[in-house]
Amino acid sequence: MEHSGILVVGGGFSGITAALEAAEVGHEVYIVEKNSYLGGRVSQLNQYFPKLCPPSCGLEINYQRIKNNPLVKYFTMAEVVSIAGKPGEYTAKIKISPRYVNTNCTACDKCTQACPVETDSEFDFGLRKRKAIYRPHLNSFPLRYVIDPAVCLGKTCSKCVEACPYNAVELEEQPKEITLSVGAVIWATGWKPYDLGKLEILGSGKVKNAISNMQMERLASPSGPTNGKIVRPSDGKEPQRIGFVQCAGSRDESHLSYCSYICCMASLKQVTYLRAQYPDAQIVIYYIDLRTPGRYDKFLQKIREDENVLMVKGKVAKVEEDGATGDVLVTAEDIIHGLKKEERFDMVVLATGMQPNMAGQALPMEMQLDEEGFCISQEDGFSAVGCAKMPLDVMRSAQTATGAALKAIQTVVGR
Amino acid sequence: MAQTNRIEPDLQFIRDLQAAGGESLKKCYQCATCSVVCPLSPEQNPYPRKEMIWAQWGLKDKLVGDLDMWLCHNCGQCSEQCPRGAKPADLMAAMRNMAYQNIAQPAIMGKLMSAPKYLPVLVAIPAVIFLVVWFITAGFGTPVDENGNVLWRLVFPQTAFIDPLFALTAIAVALIFARGVLNLIKTFNDSPQAPVGGVPVMDVLKSTWQVIKDEILTHAKFKSCGGDNTDRYYGHMGIFFGFIALFIVTAYVGAAYWLGVFTGLDLKTPMSLWNPFKILANVATIGLIIGLVLVTKRRLNLDDAKFKSCYYDWYLLGVIWVVVLTGMFSQLLRLANVPGIAYPVYFLHLVSIFMLFAYLPWSKLAHLVYRTIALGYARKVGREPKPQV
Repeated sequence: MEHSGILVVGGGFSGITAALEAAEVGHEVYIVEKNSYLGGRVSQLNQYFPKLCPPSCGLEINYQRIKNNPLVKYFTMAEVVSIAGKPGEYTAKIKISPRYVNTNCTACDKCTQACPVETDSEFDFGLRKRKAIYRPHLNSFPLRYVIDPAVCLGKTCSKCVEACPYNAVELEEQPKEITLSVGAVIWATGWKPYDLGKLEILGSGKVKNAISNMQMERLASPSGPTNGKIVRPSDGKEPQRIGFVQCAGSRDESHLSYCSYICCMASLKQVTYLRAQYPDAQIVIYYIDLRTPGRYDKFLQKIREDENVLMVKGKVAKVEEDGATGDVLVTAEDIIHGLKKEERFDMVVLATGMQPNMAGQALPMEMQLDEEGFCISQEDGFSAVGCAKMPLDVMRSAQTATGAALKAIQTVVGR
Repeated sequence: MAQTNRIEPDLQFIRDLQAAGGESLKKCYQCATCSVVCPLSPEQNPYPRKEMIWAQWGLKDKLVGDLDMWLCHNCGQCSEQCPRGAKPADLMAAMRNMAYQNIAQPAIMGKLMSAPKYLPVLVAIPAVIFLVVWFITAGFGTPVDENGNVLWRLVFPQTAFIDPLFALTAIAVALIFARGVLNLIKTFNDSPQAPVGGVPVMDVLKSTWQVIKDEILTHAKFKSCGGDNTDRYYGHMGIFFGFIALFIVTAYVGAAYWLGVFTGLDLKTPMSLWNPFKILANVATIGLIIGLVLVTKRRLNLDDAKFKSCYYDWYLLGVIWVVVLTGMFSQLLRLANVPGIAYPVYFLHLVSIFMLFAYLPWSKLAHLVYRTIALGYARKVGREPKPQV
């Protein structure tokens, strides 16, 4: 074989896992990550199901493994421009956008304090603001600040440059392009939460206290906008009645036609977040079918024992805001009792599904996608893993990553 | 032990429903989006989610006696929002089509009206009748009166043929409907209706009058239906009031003719174009055409993935189109005095009118009677107006 390196596109949990599995048996790997940090969606989560442990712990271990392994090279703020070639000899062009902050950064935060520009934090799904120069998130790896060129005022401002005691800010940094020669490609581009704005009957994302399940993760996270206190976004009120709307845009031909596999468990998990903070809160879960495959069913049974959790079979098809109170009005038919009812909640969680990041995107190399944008290519030297392949939980994403690492190794060693 | 309810699916009924327009019913996965987005569906036992599962399970008895199929005014919001393309609106329409097929006797007519393959028979019946008369009166010729003008009576005599034929047809249709209505009310009585609320209007005649006054004449339900119903609202109104006006004109023509027969006054057709009844007829025709254009355009533009028009829809629309166009051209050709074309067109006009009225109890137009009765019944039992919980 020409090249022995392995390119991993995407530095989320699947990508990191695949890269480490290959590197730890002696193969050189390159992780190309679009964001300014590794860890992907998992780093936005508060807890994993079913064990309810914080993902920061597992990610931390993986970051250590990356740091300690010279065979793992990673590029953040990097995107693949093109991949050409064939199994064993691919050439990948990578574009690295400027971070404007060099390795001198110690994360002292002086730049952020000096920065006059504020914008919505995408990491917290708009639940709080961040500055134009900012730390990607509390546990971000690499631990280095970054400037958002879309809102930064540039050299006319330069307040961060002046504030930085370490000469870490480089406003003149230019984009770079590098070329990698690799023997195999692992495609781990992951997913994005389905856009609430498209869910017209569920309020088009405009009902302030109807948040997405990923926003709930940020609200519940100790590193989140409220330091882990779950309160209503509109007025900070402690919610006493919370509704969960399952299949918000999932299993729906007009939106995501498939089941995202994780949303039922995510909502049940979030019930435990709420229960821990509000012992008497009333929770209603509206569902079509509660899907808790395998051992996850135990988790469901445990939640069922909670007397203040009501499960209503019937999909919510109307979400409206009560302007005066900020309450959320939810209508569904309880199909077991044949009763269509409007209910009032302090806060509602819309359990949106996972859409592959590739949906609607231009691709840097030839691959086969299904109608929804999941990668279905199966060939030597190329594997899609994690949620680029299909909707999966973290555990099964890691399993696909391990499998793909083995396949990539087989390609680069030629057997 | 819990009581065991054995479901006995009527598989043939499922197939019949699918053939009558509900072909996608098996796609439903019971999420109940449809019941929620329907603006007319009440809170207690809303529709059409429950009808979807009854249909999937082949619960014929429940479906046949379901009052709610008539409460649905087919705005299509359910199908619009259905995540599966199961088309609940089409199922509700299919249930009504099954009612047209099965409520009125003789049942063979329901069958003949159910599929396009029987259309030649339906056309042939009036065609033969009118051709025979044409042969007897004029040997298929195109006679003109003493002034050289086209005169319908010369081919299709009013005294001896047209009026007796349509009078008998009207009586037969009325009797068939009377039986059908009793049959319909029996199915409602026999099936336990969904829990009702509101204040029941005990007198069924009174409640039916309320339906006519508050709903039919105002077309109010089209307005409270979901989505944009402008085309349906004005379309249905144009056709509805167009027919009412033409009914009045026809009644006048018949009455005037027979008054003339008994008194010797000359009240025969053709009327002067400035006769108020003639003006009404022509205005009504224009209203009908506008209505037809609106509803036809709407049906042609339906998104196939969400809605499908079926034979019952096209039969009725098609027959009305033929009635209106041949009627209009009969008048124009008569005025232009082109007997060679005028008589054949008038013949087609008569054939289509016969197809509209004689087959009325088994066509979609039967909703005129069944829906009115069902809405009256719904008011009587308190399911309408939509009870609030």
